[in-house]
Amino acid sequence: MSSLAVLLIAIPLLAAFVSILSKKIAPYLLLAVSLVNVLLLFYFVPNGIVVIGGYDLPYGINLFVDAFSRIGLGVVNVLFLIVVLLNIVEFKKFSSILLVALAGLNGLLLTGDLFNLFVFLEVAGIAAYLITTSNKKPLATFRYLIIGSVGSSLYLFGLIILYGMFGTLNLMDMVSFIQANNVEASALVLPATLMFIGLGVEAKLLPFNSWVKGVLKDSNTLSGPMIAAVYAATISFVFGRIINNLLSLAFVGNLLIVVLVLLAVGIFIAEAMAFSSTKVREILLYSSIAQASIVVLLFVNGIVLWAVYLIIANALSKTVMFLVANKAAKDHGSDESESLQGIFSKNILVGITFSVATLSVMGLPLFFGFVVKLNYLTELALGAQWAILAVILISSIIEGIYFVRMLIKLWYPEKNEVNVTFDLRFKVVFVAIALILLALGTYTAPLNTLDNSIDTIAEVIDNG
Amino acid sequence: MKNIIAFVLSVALGVLMVLSLTNNDWFAQFGYADLTDRVSQSYIDKSVTGTPGEIIFGVTSNPEDGAANIVTSIVVDYRSFDTLGEVTVLFISALGVALLLSSEDKNKRLQLNFKPNFMLRVGSRALFSIILMTGVYVILHGHLTPGGGFPGGTMIASSILLLYLADDQFRAKVKGFKLLEGVAGSFYVVIGLLGLLVASYFLQNFLPTGTVGDLFSAGIIPIVYILIGLKVGSEIAGIIDNFLTEEEVSL
Amino acid sequence: MIQYAAIILIVFGLYGLLSNHNIVKMIISLNIIEIGLNIFIISVGFVYDGIAPILTSTNSSSALLYVDPLPQALVLTAIVIGVGTTALGLALAKKIHSKYGTFELDEMGDNE
Repeated sequence: MSSLAVLLIAIPLLAAFVSILSKKIAPYLLLAVSLVNVLLLFYFVPNGIVVIGGYDLPYGINLFVDAFSRIGLGVVNVLFLIVVLLNIVEFKKFSSILLVALAGLNGLLLTGDLFNLFVFLEVAGIAAYLITTSNKKPLATFRYLIIGSVGSSLYLFGLIILYGMFGTLNLMDMVSFIQANNVEASALVLPATLMFIGLGVEAKLLPFNSWVKGVLKDSNTLSGPMIAAVYAATISFVFGRIINNLLSLAFVGNLLIVVLVLLAVGIFIAEAMAFSSTKVREILLYSSIAQASIVVLLFVNGIVLWAVYLIIANALSKTVMFLVANKAAKDHGSDESESLQGIFSKNILVGITFSVATLSVMGLPLFFGFVVKLNYLTELALGAQWAILAVILISSIIEGIYFVRMLIKLWYPEKNEVNVTFDLRFKVVFVAIALILLALGTYTAPLNTLDNSIDTIAEVIDNG
Repeated sequence: MKNIIAFVLSVALGVLMVLSLTNNDWFAQFGYADLTDRVSQSYIDKSVTGTPGEIIFGVTSNPEDGAANIVTSIVVDYRSFDTLGEVTVLFISALGVALLLSSEDKNKRLQLNFKPNFMLRVGSRALFSIILMTGVYVILHGHLTPGGGFPGGTMIASSILLLYLADDQFRAKVKGFKLLEGVAGSFYVVIGLLGLLVASYFLQNFLPTGTVGDLFSAGIIPIVYILIGLKVGSEIAGIIDNFLTEEEVSL
Repeated sequence: MIQYAAIILIVFGLYGLLSNHNIVKMIISLNIIEIGLNIFIISVGFVYDGIAPILTSTNSSSALLYVDPLPQALVLTAIVIGVGTTALGLALAKKIHSKYGTFELDEMGDNE
């Protein structure tokens, strides 16, 4: 049956509708459905186009499963399962919301229709606003809601201009039409810019990311990894798909320079703000903003494969780092580096895994982050993008300084006692992720079996 | 100062948009859109999976979709997946409002300054039944006239709002609404899965579509609209109830 | 022309969002942006001398000149999504009011 990919979206939705009938079984449903999704994805779902409703594209909606979506789905579903497993006891009230979030995230990664992307963007977005209410900071959630809604409206505006121009809403159909008729890039500037801004709000690009600080600096073990790792990975994958196929047709000449400058400035400012803050969660969130901008920069330059690997590396590392920081903040009451000094001298295993994740983000050898960084810097050099290379190198130096400073503070104790405990489940997850980062950093052969053509939409269009 | 920057920014954005759209050769001029260039022509002719020729009201039987209201056929049949997502958005908004505003203890009605009188209370019950009937009519005829599940469901919810406003001690049965909401939503996904099992595509229209223009036509479209109408009505009624109650403070 | 009116509404809404400090007014500005956007979407589908896309006993054939039905379906979805977001925003406003006692952003100094 080739339509199995729909079940990745339909089963969580069904479970969400059923779960409000009985509050008691909702958490068990959530666990069961997350597990079923992971199993379905890895064993049963085949590649190809799934047509919904029996109406072929471009008249109906279709889902698109290829290597790009598969990698995205794998990362997101597995990380979602991990975050749910660690938080299910404490956050029972959020089970139905998490089920809808799972359906929304899968829908975002699978869809091949642009209006369907808008609908699932809203589904996942509203689920994210509700997950952040667990921080008990209604003003930060309100800002997130306003900025997110404005971003989605701008995306819809850009999409409607494209419909007015070309008469179709399907991604593949639109791209093949544009290429067949040689539409000049200047006609696509306004809708491409609007769609870029719309998706950029959710993807934490400057200057639309004022919501990130409010939401992540007071996060807990549920909202922190969920927003910073799972949602960030999904939006980056979606953004990559759209940029690589549709927006790259419009980003030529002056507009490309403007976009690149904007992204580079974003990286700089994020790293500078991380450098100047002392709270662990703030450092982590600014680092996430900088890495998200680097990912978009790579997609705009056409370096698809290493951007995907960077997304995976970041998602894995940030899960570990945010879980550690949030648990420490919850047990200790604050996450100032000064007051958390010496936390790792008592929790050595957790300290080692946290350091592995940090060193991977910084890009030191032996870890996955180093392999990714080396390769994408090489690709940038091959493309003669010296300015961007310089920006990334300088920001890496700044990043190295503040991360090492943070690590030193967290390892060496001063006078005060810090009592933070991590129970067994957390430790198992941390060790597993650290091992993956180490393994992929040393044995890199499987990484090179794929290349930039994992996004096969262009291939499918060429074959008719 | 900040207001001036905001004003300049917004006006600049507006001017940019207008200039860019008027200079765009590809963007169809207002009123001169050519439907044959767009996918909509196939929706009007119902010719997505075949070529049935001209569709005539009351005469053509068993076309691929069967609804006389072409917008309904797009919303519930050709692009049914979007409607599923939209229903989910409303579901999760209602869930979020309940999460934020409800409490575990006993609730009582929010005290307002307005005290309704006896005439209002009695008259609103009469009006309630009329609005309810209009809502049900709009839902059932969604495939023949403008309207459908969403406006009809909202009308049902507004009839309940009328009862809330006219009587300051009235509280609807919230548990019943939750049950209705969950059941209606799951049935929509179950119909989609039935399409997958019976006809090998998710959300395919697998019932016979009858003659264009009859009440019992268009396959699963009236059934889906009834489910959507019930779901929307119960969700919005739940939201109204959440806003108009507050915690009972025991003295 | 109606498309100019739609863009003017969007500009009004954006200005209101950027310059207002009252939470309820920000929600209203967001709604104005969405109304302008919906009007723009419908206007993309208009055809001069076209009739409403419903087959009735008077307009009984599918060969007549209809306006574009697809943007109307898109607007149906967009309106409902706007309603959901507004409901959530108002619930958050009620929560903010019960926590801080005011709707003005300037008076909520402590925990921006």
